[in-house]
Amino acid sequence: MAAAVTADALRAKLESALQATTVTVTDTSGGCGAAFDVCAVSPLFDGKMLIARHRMIHDALHDDMPNIHALSIKAAWTPAQQQKQQQAAAPPGAGTTA
Amino acid sequence: MAATLRASAQQRFCARPGAIAPARPLFSLGAAAGSSRRLVAARSAGAAGMAPELKSAIDELISKNKVVVFMKGTKQFPQCGFSNTVVQILRELDAPFESVNVLEEDAVRSGMKEYSAWPTFPQVYIDGEFFGGCDIMIETYQSGELKETLERVMNE
Repeated sequence: MAAAVTADALRAKLESALQATTVTVTDTSGGCGAAFDVCAVSPLFDGKMLIARHRMIHDALHDDMPNIHALSIKAAWTPAQQQKQQQAAAPPGAGTTA
Repeated sequence: MAATLRASAQQRFCARPGAIAPARPLFSLGAAAGSSRRLVAARSAGAAGMAPELKSAIDELISKNKVVVFMKGTKQFPQCGFSNTVVQILRELDAPFESVNVLEEDAVRSGMKEYSAWPTFPQVYIDGEFFGGCDIMIETYQSGELKETLERVMNE
């Protein structure tokens, strides 16, 4: 049996692989360790398309992916984007209907 | 006319030759043979690699259809929340799309991870190119970029 994946372990990997300045990993699985929401802020994202940023996150978590059922990347920002978001003080998606 | 990719090659995708080989096609195609283009590099091609027949079938499918969603379940009955979200977004934008249920065939499910170099589903192809997964669809839907892209592609 593969060891359960933890949010802390994923955060540590993202911090080191992406030199991420802010990382939040939320276990949304209810404890079984198979579903996570990820937000990451990294200077390495600068100049990269969204799809490339997601690939960087996937690559950083490559070894764990077989044990993760659902990985939702809520944000992959550069530090400048993070700042802009904070200034706007509006969560992404505000103003749209679900 | 609707040509179907009947996997006479399907036996080969099957790990065990004696295992149940369903009569259904891997997926149905909108038209008959054509040239493939702009392949997504399978960066993570493993030692085994995917069957050439499957790869060329996918090449053809994504080049013949403006929008293709590789998803869990069908568009009528998505079997995963993320796949459902993508279906809802495309419906909302009135974008016609083809879908492939990756749960039907393990070779397609594992093959698409390699083909797209993307570990999760759904996977959305627009205009022959990998566009992204659920999160990218949501983000580009909210920013308006998806609508723009679809309008451009549909009017080509």
